[in-house]
Amino acid sequence: MPGATSIHINNRQPLRATGDSLAVRALLIGATLVFFLLFLFFPLVVVFEGAFSKGGAAFLETFRDPYTRHSILLTLVIAAISVPLNTVFGIAAAWCVTRYKFRGLSFLITLIDLPLWVSPVIAGLLYVLVFGAQGWFGPWLREHEIRIIFAVPGMVLATIFVTFPFVARGLIPLMQAQGMKEEEAALTLGANGWQILWRITLPKIKWGLLYGIILCNARAMGEFGAVSVVSGHIRGKTNTMPLHIEILYNEYQFASAFAVASVLGLLAIITLILKTRAEWRAEQELRASSFSTAP
Amino acid sequence: MARRAGASRLLILNRTMSIAIQNITKRFGLHPALRDVSLDIHDGELIALLGPSGSGKTTLLRFIAGLEFADARDGRISFQGRDVTDLSAYQRKAGFVFQHYALFNHMNVYENIAFSFRVLPRSKRPPESAIRERVTELLRAVQLEGYEKRLPTQLSGGQRQRVAFARALANRPEVLLLDEPFGALDAKVRKDLRRWLREFHDLTRLTTIFVTHDQDEAFEVADRVVLIDQGTIQQSGTPSEVRNNPANSFVADFLGLTENDAPAARTECQLKTR
Repeated sequence: MPGATSIHINNRQPLRATGDSLAVRALLIGATLVFFLLFLFFPLVVVFEGAFSKGGAAFLETFRDPYTRHSILLTLVIAAISVPLNTVFGIAAAWCVTRYKFRGLSFLITLIDLPLWVSPVIAGLLYVLVFGAQGWFGPWLREHEIRIIFAVPGMVLATIFVTFPFVARGLIPLMQAQGMKEEEAALTLGANGWQILWRITLPKIKWGLLYGIILCNARAMGEFGAVSVVSGHIRGKTNTMPLHIEILYNEYQFASAFAVASVLGLLAIITLILKTRAEWRAEQELRASSFSTAP
Repeated sequence: MARRAGASRLLILNRTMSIAIQNITKRFGLHPALRDVSLDIHDGELIALLGPSGSGKTTLLRFIAGLEFADARDGRISFQGRDVTDLSAYQRKAGFVFQHYALFNHMNVYENIAFSFRVLPRSKRPPESAIRERVTELLRAVQLEGYEKRLPTQLSGGQRQRVAFARALANRPEVLLLDEPFGALDAKVRKDLRRWLREFHDLTRLTTIFVTHDQDEAFEVADRVVLIDQGTIQQSGTPSEVRNNPANSFVADFLGLTENDAPAARTECQLKTR
């Protein structure tokens, strides 16, 4: 009998790692699932359902509208400018933070995270205060006929601010964990800084980098608050997809609003799939490097 | 080119002095890693830097490679009479083998070994046929022929170590530096590689410095053993000199030579702590 009991306990041990009872586990898993369905999955279904509520023809009609087309184009343009810039900034910041030791290092790390803490609306307002007509550079900009606020440059700036942390935050823990022995080895073999970056560091971090870029891109395309403040909502000029959705919705064009929203929703799903894949590869990357450095 | 010619003339005058280190001091924060260390290494020597962990021996090795720089400006280092104090690691090009190999995991064995040629400016880069010849020659020397296409993750520890050797030697460095070269290997492979290193050195007479905390390894392989503790050189001499005439109590202690029954006392201690 004692033998049988011990076997029974042994069998159940992997499940009982935390010592929680079956009821607690069922409750937690159930609550998570309900939350997921109610707040994440059903809204997504509603978006797609709303998009096709007036049929496929109406759905397609939305995308023949020049204003809608322009908003999609502008969203792509803004992402195409801000994502590459933030990729370069992110790599530089992560390199700086993980490769050098200097005074103010932890302050710099905090600063990288700043855009995540500040409300996007405030970020947008900051740019209005700096570059707006009444702002610091306002008179100078007017003299030189440069428009930043209520124009595309301001929207790009606001997007860059909001999406700045994603690449750097993705890379810093990876680069810290990987260490820099390979870089030092390349140095003793006669490689200069650029050669080390291109031939050693970037191949080492490529999946972590891709992960950061995907998140950065998703946020750049979906950004509403900061862009809304600096945009001025000029249809066909300074309207991105999220702003266009709001306008359509406020004008009771629900089907069209949902149709554009469904494109963003689709983007989110694609992002999620790519992100999961990149995340998985980044983990492999990390494991490969720890495999080679572990004793 | 003119500097080169000057350097080679110096080389003839100073032929017996491969590396000269003078008055090196290095701190990490408040902790002094090296205190006013001077060391001359002769051409073709095989030297072991021996000491407990945290003694500064790895810092000294990294300083020679150019991966660390001294604090005070009066510390100097020269290779073959040529002052390299202000040259960075990529200009010194000392062959360096890292403790955990630091192979490039995304490159195969061939590309790892060929790396020091790939980063040369186009005008100085040898043709691919010459690179291939050199890589093949090195793979033969480390007994890894036919492994060109393998990735580092597909190799055993000993094989990776030998690839790291080959990579460090590829562009014919003036000096070979090894950081705990056998530390991460199991006992059998360790013994083989030790013997291999000794034979390789006898064949090439390449000036070689290796760091170790294992006195058997140091005494078995090296021509000269340099004992380091607390950032200073405690003694330097041939294995028999050091064994027969320990310079101070640290050396005697570290080698277990204090009293005749010291080894027995140590065993007793170990038993007690268990």
